[in-house]
Amino acid sequence: MVKYESIFITEASATDDEVAGLVKGFEETITAARGKMLKVERWGKRRLAYRIGRHEDGNYTLLQMECPPPAAHELERRYRMNDRIIKYLTVRLDRDIPETAPVPAEPTAVDVPSEPGEAD
Amino acid sequence: MDPRERDRSKKKQFRKKFLFRKKKFCKFCEEKIPYIDYKDVRLLQGFTPERGKIFPRRISGTCAKHQRELMQAIKRARNIALLPFTAD
Repeated sequence: MVKYESIFITEASATDDEVAGLVKGFEETITAARGKMLKVERWGKRRLAYRIGRHEDGNYTLLQMECPPPAAHELERRYRMNDRIIKYLTVRLDRDIPETAPVPAEPTAVDVPSEPGEAD
Repeated sequence: MDPRERDRSKKKQFRKKFLFRKKKFCKFCEEKIPYIDYKDVRLLQGFTPERGKIFPRRISGTCAKHQRELMQAIKRARNIALLPFTAD
Protein backbone atom coordinates (compact mmCIF):
# COMPACT_ATOMS: atom_id res chain seq x y z
CA MET A 1 0.00 0.00 0.00
CA VAL A 2 1.29 3.40 -0.95
CA LYS A 3 -0.05 6.80 -0.06
CA TYR A 4 -0.91 9.05 -2.95
CA GLU A 5 -2.26 12.48 -3.41
CA SER A 6 -4.13 13.25 -6.54
CA ILE A 7 -5.60 16.45 -7.90
CA PHE A 8 -7.87 16.60 -10.87
CA ILE A 9 -9.34 19.63 -12.60
CA THR A 10 -12.71 19.40 -14.24
CA GLU A 11 -14.21 21.96 -16.53
CA ALA A 12 -15.40 24.97 -14.61
CA SER A 13 -18.95 24.32 -15.78
CA ALA A 14 -19.11 20.99 -13.95
CA THR A 15 -21.75 21.09 -11.24
CA ASP A 16 -21.25 19.97 -7.65
CA ASP A 17 -23.33 16.86 -8.26
CA GLU A 18 -21.29 15.98 -11.28
CA VAL A 19 -18.02 16.22 -9.37
CA ALA A 20 -19.50 14.29 -6.46
CA GLY A 21 -20.46 11.56 -8.92
CA LEU A 22 -16.92 11.46 -10.28
CA VAL A 23 -15.43 11.25 -6.82
CA LYS A 24 -17.76 8.42 -5.95
CA GLY A 25 -16.70 6.52 -9.04
CA PHE A 26 -13.03 7.03 -8.25
CA GLU A 27 -13.53 5.93 -4.70
CA GLU A 28 -15.04 2.72 -5.97
CA THR A 29 -12.01 2.11 -8.18
CA ILE A 30 -9.78 2.51 -5.18
CA THR A 31 -11.78 0.40 -2.80
CA ALA A 32 -12.19 -2.32 -5.43
CA ALA A 33 -8.42 -2.67 -5.33
CA ARG A 34 -8.55 -2.93 -1.53
CA GLY A 35 -7.35 0.62 -1.15
CA LYS A 36 -8.75 3.35 1.01
CA MET A 37 -9.74 6.93 0.33
CA LEU A 38 -8.29 9.10 3.07
CA LYS A 39 -9.44 12.54 2.15
CA VAL A 40 -11.49 14.37 -0.40
CA GLU A 41 -11.15 18.11 -0.58
CA ARG A 42 -13.12 20.28 -2.91
CA TRP A 43 -11.44 23.54 -3.80
CA GLY A 44 -14.11 24.65 -6.18
CA LYS A 45 -13.62 26.98 -9.06
CA ARG A 46 -10.26 28.63 -9.49
CA ARG A 47 -8.60 30.59 -12.19
CA LEU A 48 -5.96 28.49 -13.97
CA ALA A 49 -2.45 29.92 -14.01
CA TYR A 50 -2.38 29.37 -17.74
CA ARG A 51 -4.88 28.47 -20.39
CA ILE A 52 -5.44 24.77 -20.97
CA GLY A 53 -7.01 24.26 -24.34
CA ARG A 54 -9.92 26.66 -24.27
CA HIS A 55 -10.23 26.66 -20.50
CA GLU A 56 -9.41 29.65 -18.34
CA ASP A 57 -10.93 28.33 -15.12
CA GLY A 58 -11.18 24.93 -13.59
CA ASN A 59 -12.87 23.10 -10.78
CA TYR A 60 -10.25 21.57 -8.48
CA THR A 61 -10.65 18.44 -6.40
CA LEU A 62 -7.99 16.87 -4.22
CA LEU A 63 -7.94 13.22 -3.24
CA GLN A 64 -5.69 11.46 -0.78
CA MET A 65 -5.66 7.71 -0.73
CA GLU A 66 -3.80 4.62 0.24
CA CYS A 67 -3.81 1.89 -2.38
CA PRO A 68 -1.63 -0.52 -4.31
CA PRO A 69 0.20 1.20 -7.18
CA PRO A 70 -1.80 -0.46 -9.98
CA ALA A 71 -4.94 1.13 -8.55
CA ALA A 72 -3.35 4.56 -8.88
CA HIS A 73 -2.59 3.83 -12.51
CA GLU A 74 -6.13 2.72 -13.04
CA LEU A 75 -7.32 5.97 -11.50
CA GLU A 76 -5.17 7.99 -13.90
CA ARG A 77 -6.44 5.95 -16.81
CA ARG A 78 -9.97 6.84 -15.77
CA TYR A 79 -9.02 10.51 -15.56
CA ARG A 80 -7.81 10.38 -19.12
CA MET A 81 -10.94 8.67 -20.35
CA ASN A 82 -13.18 11.30 -18.86
CA ASP A 83 -13.41 14.30 -21.12
CA ARG A 84 -14.74 16.54 -18.35
CA ILE A 85 -11.32 16.31 -16.71
CA ILE A 86 -8.86 18.72 -18.23
CA LYS A 87 -5.78 18.06 -16.12
CA TYR A 88 -4.62 15.89 -13.26
CA LEU A 89 -1.59 15.29 -11.10
CA THR A 90 -0.83 12.35 -8.85
CA VAL A 91 2.08 12.41 -6.46
CA ARG A 92 3.34 9.84 -4.07
CA LEU A 93 3.44 10.92 -0.45
CA ASP A 94 6.79 9.63 0.67
CA ARG A 95 6.81 11.26 4.01
CA ASP A 96 3.98 11.87 6.33
CA ILE A 97 2.87 15.22 5.21
CA PRO A 98 1.69 17.59 7.87
CA GLU A 99 -1.90 18.66 7.73
CA THR A 100 -1.86 21.42 5.17
CA ALA A 101 -4.23 24.26 5.04
CA PRO A 102 -6.46 24.24 1.99
CA VAL A 103 -5.15 26.37 -0.81
CA PRO A 104 -6.06 29.96 -0.15
CA ALA A 105 -8.59 31.20 -2.58
CA GLU A 106 -6.96 33.62 -4.94
CA PRO A 107 -8.53 36.98 -5.45
CA THR A 108 -9.20 36.01 -9.04
CA ALA A 109 -11.05 32.90 -7.95
CA VAL A 110 -14.08 34.84 -6.82
CA ASP A 111 -16.94 33.64 -8.83
CA VAL A 112 -15.96 34.06 -12.42
CA PRO A 113 -19.25 34.53 -14.17
CA SER A 114 -19.46 32.36 -17.23
CA GLU A 115 -20.23 34.75 -20.02
CA PRO A 116 -22.69 33.64 -22.61
CA GLY A 117 -20.97 32.94 -25.88
CA GLU A 118 -17.71 32.15 -24.16
CA ALA A 119 -19.33 29.19 -22.45
CA ASP A 120 -18.68 25.84 -24.04
CA MET B 1 46.00 63.95 -1.26
CA ASP B 2 48.53 61.29 -0.51
CA PRO B 3 47.81 58.37 -2.87
CA ARG B 4 48.07 55.94 -0.01
CA GLU B 5 45.49 57.90 1.92
CA ARG B 6 43.12 57.79 -1.02
CA ASP B 7 43.57 54.08 -1.32
CA ARG B 8 42.70 53.58 2.28
CA SER B 9 39.52 55.62 2.10
CA LYS B 10 38.45 53.64 -0.95
CA LYS B 11 38.94 50.43 0.94
CA LYS B 12 36.93 51.79 3.79
CA GLN B 13 34.08 52.67 1.49
CA PHE B 14 34.08 49.22 0.03
CA ARG B 15 33.96 47.61 3.42
CA LYS B 16 31.11 49.87 4.45
CA LYS B 17 29.03 48.85 1.45
CA PHE B 18 29.69 45.24 2.13
CA LEU B 19 28.85 45.48 5.79
CA PHE B 20 25.54 47.11 5.13
CA ARG B 21 24.28 44.37 2.89
CA LYS B 22 21.50 42.43 4.56
CA LYS B 23 22.53 38.97 5.63
CA LYS B 24 20.91 36.32 3.48
CA PHE B 25 19.28 33.37 5.14
CA CYS B 26 17.31 30.33 4.15
CA LYS B 27 13.66 30.97 4.87
CA PHE B 28 12.89 27.28 5.23
CA CYS B 29 15.68 26.57 7.69
CA GLU B 30 14.83 29.65 9.66
CA GLU B 31 11.12 28.94 9.97
CA LYS B 32 11.67 25.19 10.23
CA ILE B 33 9.23 24.40 7.46
CA PRO B 34 9.40 20.59 7.33
CA TYR B 35 7.85 20.12 3.91
CA ILE B 36 7.50 22.49 1.01
CA ASP B 37 3.99 21.91 -0.18
CA TYR B 38 3.30 22.40 -3.86
CA LYS B 39 -0.24 23.40 -2.96
CA ASP B 40 0.88 26.39 -0.92
CA VAL B 41 0.61 28.89 -3.74
CA ARG B 42 1.21 31.93 -1.59
CA LEU B 43 4.52 30.60 -0.31
CA LEU B 44 5.72 29.56 -3.74
CA GLN B 45 4.72 32.83 -5.33
CA GLY B 46 7.30 34.53 -3.18
CA PHE B 47 9.95 32.54 -5.02
CA THR B 48 8.64 33.11 -8.52
CA PRO B 49 8.87 36.83 -9.28
CA GLU B 50 7.02 38.54 -12.12
CA ARG B 51 8.20 36.40 -14.98
CA GLY B 52 7.32 33.23 -13.12
CA LYS B 53 10.89 32.01 -13.10
CA ILE B 54 12.35 30.27 -10.08
CA PHE B 55 14.26 32.70 -7.92
CA PRO B 56 17.95 31.67 -7.90
CA ARG B 57 19.36 30.77 -4.55
CA ARG B 58 22.32 33.03 -5.05
CA ILE B 59 19.84 35.86 -4.58
CA SER B 60 17.19 34.39 -2.32
CA GLY B 61 19.71 32.78 0.00
CA THR B 62 17.83 29.50 0.20
CA CYS B 63 20.09 26.59 1.12
CA ALA B 64 20.84 23.86 -1.41
CA LYS B 65 18.60 21.25 0.15
CA HIS B 66 15.60 23.50 0.37
CA GLN B 67 16.18 24.96 -3.08
CA ARG B 68 15.88 21.44 -4.48
CA GLU B 69 12.65 20.84 -2.62
CA LEU B 70 11.38 24.24 -3.63
CA MET B 71 12.14 23.52 -7.27
CA GLN B 72 10.21 20.25 -7.07
CA ALA B 73 7.25 22.00 -5.46
CA ILE B 74 7.19 24.81 -8.01
CA LYS B 75 7.31 22.38 -10.90
CA ARG B 76 4.44 20.38 -9.48
CA ALA B 77 2.41 23.51 -8.92
CA ARG B 78 3.03 24.53 -12.52
CA ASN B 79 1.90 21.16 -13.76
CA ILE B 80 -1.47 21.52 -12.10
CA ALA B 81 -1.89 25.16 -13.18
CA LEU B 82 -1.50 26.69 -9.75
CA LEU B 83 1.54 28.62 -10.95
CA PRO B 84 2.34 29.90 -14.43
CA PHE B 85 5.22 28.53 -16.47
CA THR B 86 5.77 32.01 -17.74
CA ALA B 87 4.10 35.36 -17.51
CA ASP B 88 3.41 37.09 -20.75
